[in-house]
Amino acid sequence: MFGKLFSSYASPSSLKKAGVLGMNSRNYNFISKYNRRDLYPLVDDKVQTKILANKIGINTPGLIGVIEYQHQVDNILNIVKDYKEFVIKPAHGSGGKGVLVIKGYTPDAFTKASGEVLSYNEIYQHISNILSGLYSLGGKYDVAVIEELVHFSNIFKDYSFQGIPDVRVIVYKGFPALAMMRLATKMSGGRANLHQGAVGVGLDISTGSALKAVMRNVPIHLHPDTHAELNKIQVPNWREHLEIGAKAYEMTGLGYLGADIVLDADRGPMMLELNARPGLAIQIANGIGLAGVLKNIDDTYPSGLTAQQRVDFVLGKKS
Amino acid sequence: MLKKFASVRFILSLGLILSIIFAAYNAYYKIKYWGFNITPKKMTDVWTIETHISFEPTGEPIKVSIASLSSSKEFKILDENIIAPGYKTKKQKKDGDNRLILTTSAKNEPQDIYYRVLLFDNEDGKGKMTAPVPPAPQKPVLDEQRTAIAQELIVQAEKLQGDMPQKFIRLLNQTPPNSTVQSFFPVRKTQQDIAEALSSLLSIKGVPNRIVKGIKLEEDKKSFNPDFMLEAYTGSRWKLYNIKTAQVGMPEDFIILQRGNAALLDVEGGENSSVKFSVLKSISSSFNLAGKRAKLADQKASFEFSIFNLPLLEQNTLKWLMIFPLAILVIVLMRNVIGIQTMGTFTPMLLSMALVKTGFWPGLICFTVIIGIGLIIRAMLSKLNLLLVPRISAVVIFVILIMQVMTICGYRFSLEIASSAVFFPIIIMAWIIERASITWEEDGPINAGKEVFNSTLVAIITYFIISSEYIRHIMFAFNELNLVILFIVMLLGTYTGYRLTELKRFKPLAKD
Repeated sequence: MFGKLFSSYASPSSLKKAGVLGMNSRNYNFISKYNRRDLYPLVDDKVQTKILANKIGINTPGLIGVIEYQHQVDNILNIVKDYKEFVIKPAHGSGGKGVLVIKGYTPDAFTKASGEVLSYNEIYQHISNILSGLYSLGGKYDVAVIEELVHFSNIFKDYSFQGIPDVRVIVYKGFPALAMMRLATKMSGGRANLHQGAVGVGLDISTGSALKAVMRNVPIHLHPDTHAELNKIQVPNWREHLEIGAKAYEMTGLGYLGADIVLDADRGPMMLELNARPGLAIQIANGIGLAGVLKNIDDTYPSGLTAQQRVDFVLGKKS
Repeated sequence: MLKKFASVRFILSLGLILSIIFAAYNAYYKIKYWGFNITPKKMTDVWTIETHISFEPTGEPIKVSIASLSSSKEFKILDENIIAPGYKTKKQKKDGDNRLILTTSAKNEPQDIYYRVLLFDNEDGKGKMTAPVPPAPQKPVLDEQRTAIAQELIVQAEKLQGDMPQKFIRLLNQTPPNSTVQSFFPVRKTQQDIAEALSSLLSIKGVPNRIVKGIKLEEDKKSFNPDFMLEAYTGSRWKLYNIKTAQVGMPEDFIILQRGNAALLDVEGGENSSVKFSVLKSISSSFNLAGKRAKLADQKASFEFSIFNLPLLEQNTLKWLMIFPLAILVIVLMRNVIGIQTMGTFTPMLLSMALVKTGFWPGLICFTVIIGIGLIIRAMLSKLNLLLVPRISAVVIFVILIMQVMTICGYRFSLEIASSAVFFPIIIMAWIIERASITWEEDGPINAGKEVFNSTLVAIITYFIISSEYIRHIMFAFNELNLVILFIVMLLGTYTGYRLTELKRFKPLAKD
């Protein structure tokens, strides 16, 4: 019985050998070392991130409006009147919490991406919840951001169950270090969170092609719902994906960050949000330990390059 | 360069080592001078022995000499006072016996002297006695007839079980006594007679021995006579024998007044003297005694600035607080070393504190019921589309109402389980309900259940640590340990190794 118990655990030394980055080490050696606390608001507040990104020339979904106060909530129909579809999200949300995608609406019936129909009251309630801080870090008062819906590229249509597939790039000292694509499944409820059962596809950082795919820590080859072959994934416009990541470093000054990028059918790769505390599941999707990658960047990568030069450097590396 | 040496971890490790040394020294100090125990023996028996000496003066200068008590391995003297107006007192140590000498000029009226001693159990010292090898005893001087009887008794005793003194004790205590034994004693034999007879018999056999006079500590005892035991040197050490049961060893509650044959009380210049002992038992918290002990050890100043000099009420509050750092350490270990995610950082700690007050099962059942009902009510509330703050406030009020109903029902139907509801922190309960309910809506009931389960699990583990009487005693009595915990917690803040749960999570990446 104990043998079975032990066999489901790896020894610390074998993880260390594989260069796996643990939560404690991530927090102590990277986040607290390279991410200055006063820079957090730049990425925690999606409105600020958007403004900064536009300044530096990073594509983001267009901003429709912001609801800051409770009395403005009734304004929602007025704000979105020129749009057939929109997304409501908390400015300080994380992990996709509180994100509501509306594909179409009439004044009292709003259709979600999943096809579920919500009443006006439910929309009102949702925005109120956002304002009162239900989804924000630390439960502080928040604002609701209403932005344009991304028309995700048909290339990935077969790879995702509802939801938008996005690419997460870990950027260390401005160098894209690891990347993965997250695909929603039925199990994950149409959301791209790996711990909820979304598929993670590790991507070759220099080419953007699939390395391997996992779902709930188990390697898979086919998408569980659409049965698409996951190892055939090749992300187009890969260079632009990496550029977004590299520029995000200059934009925020964060030495260790995660950039979430979606591919819009018309506008190409767009930055959805940045994360100052990106998760560690990306290691499993890639089958590569992050600590080893980061150490390699520390030891062998040149410094003092521009964002473009850094992308060139990464693209030139053959793994 | 300097920065490297003075790294955070180095400083914290240094702090940890210093705090351990500090705590260890203090523990030693408290055990040695304040008499603290490592185990939670809350109460210590305190005995008051009062010796009442009375006599009629003869008109000559008076000198009273009485065997006095001294701190022994078994009992320590806490306080000692003599009520003898007009007497000069002096302590004298002679042949290993302590005597109290009281002198005064001639008096006329009958004299009463009170000698009161407060003793407490000195647990650790019991049952250890060493002594130098005594010389062979002098043969007792007996008349011819008694010598013959004694010889007869020795022969009879040989058939009985036990070592030499035990054989004699068993023989002399036989019921009914045989004729030989009867003829050796006066018609009514007293404890003293038995003790003396035993001493004589052992002396004939050449076994060194001495009569021990003392007081058996019994509650509310009043006696004119001391209790007798016999000490014999057998098997190369002094052994104490109960002269009735032949049991070897120091009885639990026996205090030795005097060894040897000297009189307990000598009065010069008085007659018709009598001595009367009374024994009173009281129980005192060992922390209360600490002050008196500190005083005895001339360490009063440091004691006055310790917790133990506070009134009991404050002591109890602090005793409760002193357990918090350990609970916090458990939470830190759970989160950063084990890697269990809980709802809110210190929620499990607060839950475990509530469990301590309610008792384990009642608390757990009560908690489950409150959360269960709360979740149902919260599900209904979510249909009303309330704003967050009013909604969470409503949940708080509902929690209070549930507690009220449970307490009333608990009392009405005498279910103690239900009445423990009031001990749970209301706001924490409301937040657990709110968080669980949000998780339920967003990630499904399984994840919500998992979150509540994890928090409860951590709370239970914490509970078992902080509810241990032993651990609580140590954390309170040796409160410097909290400094050690502080440094451990801070050192854990620099722990960058894997969490236990990560060993499983990242198993697919492992390389051998």
